[in-house]
Amino acid sequence: MSSESFFWMGKPIPFRAGESVAAALEAAGILSFGPAPGGGPTRYFCGIGACQCCLVRIDGCVREACLTPACSGARVEELGAADAKV
Amino acid sequence: MPKCDVLVVGGGPAGMAAAVTASQLGLSVEMIEQRRTLGGAFFRQPIEGVRPIPQRASVKARWHKLSADMSRAPVRIHYGCVFLGVDSDGFVLFEDRQVGEVVRCAARAVIIATGAIEKVHPIPGWDRPGVSTAGGLQVMMKETGQAPKGRILLAGNGPLLIAAAAQMAMVGNPPVAIVESGDPMRPGLTGLGLLVAPYLLVEAFGFLRAVYGAGVPWLRGARIEGIEAHAQGLQATVVRRNGERSAFVVDRVGLHEGIRSNDMGLPAIADASTSSPIVIRAGDCSEPLGALAAEADGALAARKVAALLGHGQSRGGEQALLGRLRQAQAVLAKLFAPTIAPLDVPDHTTLCRCEGRTIGDLKNLVAGADLKSGREVKHNGRFSMGSCQGRFCAANTAELMTRLRPGAPPVVASDLTGQRWPLRPVSIAALVAATKVKAPVD
Ligand SMILES: Cc1cc2nc3c(=O)[nH]c(=O)nc-3n(C[C@H](O)[C@@H](O)[C@H](O)COP(=O)(O)OP(=O)(O)OC[C@H]3O[C@@H](n4cnc5c(N)ncnc54)[C@H](O)[C@@H]3O)c2cc1C
Ligand code: FES
Repeated sequence: MSSESFFWMGKPIPFRAGESVAAALEAAGILSFGPAPGGGPTRYFCGIGACQCCLVRIDGCVREACLTPACSGARVEELGAADAKV
Repeated sequence: MPKCDVLVVGGGPAGMAAAVTASQLGLSVEMIEQRRTLGGAFFRQPIEGVRPIPQRASVKARWHKLSADMSRAPVRIHYGCVFLGVDSDGFVLFEDRQVGEVVRCAARAVIIATGAIEKVHPIPGWDRPGVSTAGGLQVMMKETGQAPKGRILLAGNGPLLIAAAAQMAMVGNPPVAIVESGDPMRPGLTGLGLLVAPYLLVEAFGFLRAVYGAGVPWLRGARIEGIEAHAQGLQATVVRRNGERSAFVVDRVGLHEGIRSNDMGLPAIADASTSSPIVIRAGDCSEPLGALAAEADGALAARKVAALLGHGQSRGGEQALLGRLRQAQAVLAKLFAPTIAPLDVPDHTTLCRCEGRTIGDLKNLVAGADLKSGREVKHNGRFSMGSCQGRFCAANTAELMTRLRPGAPPVVASDLTGQRWPLRPVSIAALVAATKVKAPVD
């Protein structure tokens, strides 16, 4: 088992190899992934890439946190209302 | 230009069975899957090094067979690739996220096996952090080998709630309760119809035993009314058939009202031998009958494609199995029919999360004398317009429109969603850059 980490809003979050960004954030107790374009918060919901409720910015690209494997050193950030639409 | 015979979209049981069968029938097969592993929703694989959650021997055996067949089949799998659609020239477009580009590729046939999504009804607070689908909690548990943390309430309708609860109990964190709008134990009902699919009956007993063993209350004939913020997490209000209300303070709520096909934005079915490409759907994205049926339907789709491509007719036992599973699903639907009427949902409740539209917004929009169409509600009101393509709100919006306008022709989800690709938001720049045609076969 690895002790790698990525950065969520600048803060290191440990993850296990193969784990999705959403699973690692949830394990770290982070349930809200920041404001969504529609007003409410972004967060894990369907778990299968369908609802687009878990969008975050990973190294600059908008990605579903539930689909994207965590990657060592990645910069993961809230969408930010202005960039929320691809 | 070299091209593959069959491109399979989605690596769940339907896609895997389709790929295995198509290659056994002599076709060249490629597969795209958006995750980095196969298995789909039902067979979501645990990450490296964790203990998988306990599963019945027959489920493990099915996975072993399917994954062994798959690894033997000469199928090239493109992981991290999100299917976007079929363009007007008949090329398949997908976003290869490992490389960061949109790929345009040629295939004689496309078998789409994108699975199902869970239905969720709008209630106040369904869009709060900590609230997810019940299946979403379940697949995360399968992925991480761990139960979701904290106090969990599962609410909605159908057997998946029991399955999720049982699995949570087995990994050490049973939910505080299951709120179920149906009442499968009510007198006068028997589950004997399920004998057409004994597998489901055995599964149901196993799950119920685990749920009762862990002392999880199964509140039947009850609904969740709303979820509010609370100093210690979330407060969910539950209403029983007799009108009695109770409150649960929890950390997470898993909602689930059954499943529907994940078919929003998919290209139209084209199943004539002259279609270029041939496009067919398999598994839960064609008919939501569950994992066992998905596997059978995948094989069936491959046989159909082989016949259309002139590789001869073949038969397996899939039709008969599908027939039995269809009957079993009908019995389950009857067993789980809600025994409590829908609750009133306040106007401030979010209906469409992506665009932040509420029930009240929809009421205002359809209040006028002119009968707005689904399309108008979408374009003027932005319902189902957002990035999820209406997967979670279109059916709810259509249902509410129908209820608000008694006498008017009923509205269905596809009136709102239409057929629109790309399936997923992708930048225009990436789409334009996709002029390069990559032959999927090296
Ligand atoms: C969250 C969830 C949990 C479930 N849990 C259970 C359960 O425990 N027990 C049960 O009996 N049934 C469960 N189901 C029902 C489920 O649909 C199964 O019946 C079964 O997994 C269906 O198989 P399938 O191959 O049709 O689809 P899936 O297994 O859903 O496979 C579809 C595959 O397609 C991929 N995909 C989807 N869209 C794209 C795209 N645009 N581009 C590329 N790839 C894509 C997905 O990543 C996935 O791997 C669940 C459903 C959901 C949504
Ligand atoms: S949780 Fe739905 S897309 Fe990620």
